[in-house]
Amino acid sequence: MAKVLIPTPLRQFTGKQDSVTVPGGTVGEVLSALTAQYPDLRKQIFTDEGKVRSFVNVYLNDEDIRYLGKDATQTKDGDTLSLVPSIAGGSTVAAPPGPVGTQAALSKEEILRYSRHLIIPEVGIEGQQKLKAAKVLLVGTGGLGAPLGLYLAAAGVGKIGLVDFDTVDFTNLQRQVIHFTSDVGRRKIESASEKMKAINPFVEIVPHEVALSSENALDILKDYDIVVDGTDNFPTRYLVNDACVLLGKPNVYGSIFRFEGQATVFAYEGGPCYRCLYPEPPPPGLVPSCAEGGVLGILPGTIGLIQATETVKLILGIGQPLVGRLLLYDALGMKFRELKLRKNPECPVCGEHPTVTKLIDYHQFCGVPQATAAPPVQETKVNEGEIDVVELKQKIDRGDNFVLIDVREPHEYKICSIPGAKLIPLGEFPKHVGEFDPAADIVIHCRSGMRSAKACAVLRQNGFQHVRNVVGGILAWSDKVDPSVPKY
Amino acid sequence: MIRIESEPWAQMVAHARETYPNECCGAMLGSTDGEQKAVRAAIRLRNVFEGAQATRYELRPEDLLAADKAARERSMDLIGIYHSHPDCDAYFSKTDLQNSCPWYSFVVLSIQKGEFHHANSWLPNFDQSEAVKEELIY
Repeated sequence: MAKVLIPTPLRQFTGKQDSVTVPGGTVGEVLSALTAQYPDLRKQIFTDEGKVRSFVNVYLNDEDIRYLGKDATQTKDGDTLSLVPSIAGGSTVAAPPGPVGTQAALSKEEILRYSRHLIIPEVGIEGQQKLKAAKVLLVGTGGLGAPLGLYLAAAGVGKIGLVDFDTVDFTNLQRQVIHFTSDVGRRKIESASEKMKAINPFVEIVPHEVALSSENALDILKDYDIVVDGTDNFPTRYLVNDACVLLGKPNVYGSIFRFEGQATVFAYEGGPCYRCLYPEPPPPGLVPSCAEGGVLGILPGTIGLIQATETVKLILGIGQPLVGRLLLYDALGMKFRELKLRKNPECPVCGEHPTVTKLIDYHQFCGVPQATAAPPVQETKVNEGEIDVVELKQKIDRGDNFVLIDVREPHEYKICSIPGAKLIPLGEFPKHVGEFDPAADIVIHCRSGMRSAKACAVLRQNGFQHVRNVVGGILAWSDKVDPSVPKY
Repeated sequence: MIRIESEPWAQMVAHARETYPNECCGAMLGSTDGEQKAVRAAIRLRNVFEGAQATRYELRPEDLLAADKAARERSMDLIGIYHSHPDCDAYFSKTDLQNSCPWYSFVVLSIQKGEFHHANSWLPNFDQSEAVKEELIY
């Protein structure tokens, strides 16, 4: 049983009633019952073949049934069905989106290359031409960007833009399979373009070697059909989201952490955006990045390829896009789960009354300082309350009476440590404050100096006078004191 | 015949001029008595077309649904859709036709060099193959 709201022009067929309540447990049943009761409505809603007319959208309460279970969507008493036409137009006869022009015609070589696509009925020549005509922007050529770049190039996406300004380092190689050992030190964008070109010389690679910012994002994104977010930080994630919403471009999203990943498609055809899911960024430091928390090297492969699959589906217009659904992947349990995402009518950027109508300062919004290239360790300034690794070494060698605390995790301690350091992971640190003499000379270190700075602050709040943070952490120790200490 | 009252008409023209050189779109609310339609209110809707909006418009079904709700709340009916053709006549283009719906009147406002020039109302058929002109009074 459901109430069907009748659009004005159709009320002549329902005895002037503006709504009709008809039985049925699914949307399909309700519509059948409706047109059985009012046969003149049938022609309005269904084609002669019994399919819902192309201009008719069916809404269950406020949701398009295409994003629910289509005809099979369950209805219950009190539900309201609305029939809403889809309407568009324009003064000129423009080519439909997803252009299949002569420039997208496939050469003999391309037909051979893409033959395994061409023989799938859902793709075929037409689909492959859509891929060739498509313009996709990959934001980031790291963990997620690597499989995305390789597979989208191989699949024949005609134009692929790459945004990255980083260089390849040794810690990337465990997962960023587009970069090889011989690429360490090279610009990522150059290394990635080279591999993609080698896989498929028929695709055009457009490098954007910049940090995506509020100033340049709209300009860069506007030339692409689809944006794929392969970033690992909140400011850029919000920036990509807002720019996609403002430009009306789908944002194929993925994120990874240790053994878990997420993927969805934001800002697509009335679906939710990233801000509908997370209106506010988490407090800085709460959610660790891959550099801070680590990641299973294979994980970005899995998530990146889900993003690649969704990208190709959007281009081809086939299947059910991952819209309004957040796919959660747990590698340890080897399980996929799905959360339903709803568009938030009060969303500040894609809601009914948006307050964000242009790009903002995302570093400020996320409460994190502007990302700058890490200064070389040699130039690091030592402020009050800090100690340089060289001075620490002298202190140890002199046999000074002081306490050295390492606030990293036990598994990090196993990789390397500074002699004489007492291990107290940051999470347990507050419990141990009482074990130290507030008058003692205390030096604290971690990997790079971030966590130890927090531990120092904890001690100072408890009245400790002589607490110093090791600038640059054990990474600086490796650089300046003992090169045999491995960096990680 | 469709008659647009002066207040909604002024709003529609203002909307079309403000949106120039892009296309605007909106909903017309009012009442129907047989073939006689009277537009008593106009609601601006967002043109969500992705791409050059100078020659295209697209309505979100959700927005249309909201317009329909607004009409019911004000004891009116959603009876038509309007949009503008910047620097172009108020004809019903092939694009208009292929994305139309036979349930409503489609009013097209021609805006030339930023100023209102003329308007027509159209009634498309089911197959989206043809639209007949409807008498428009404003």
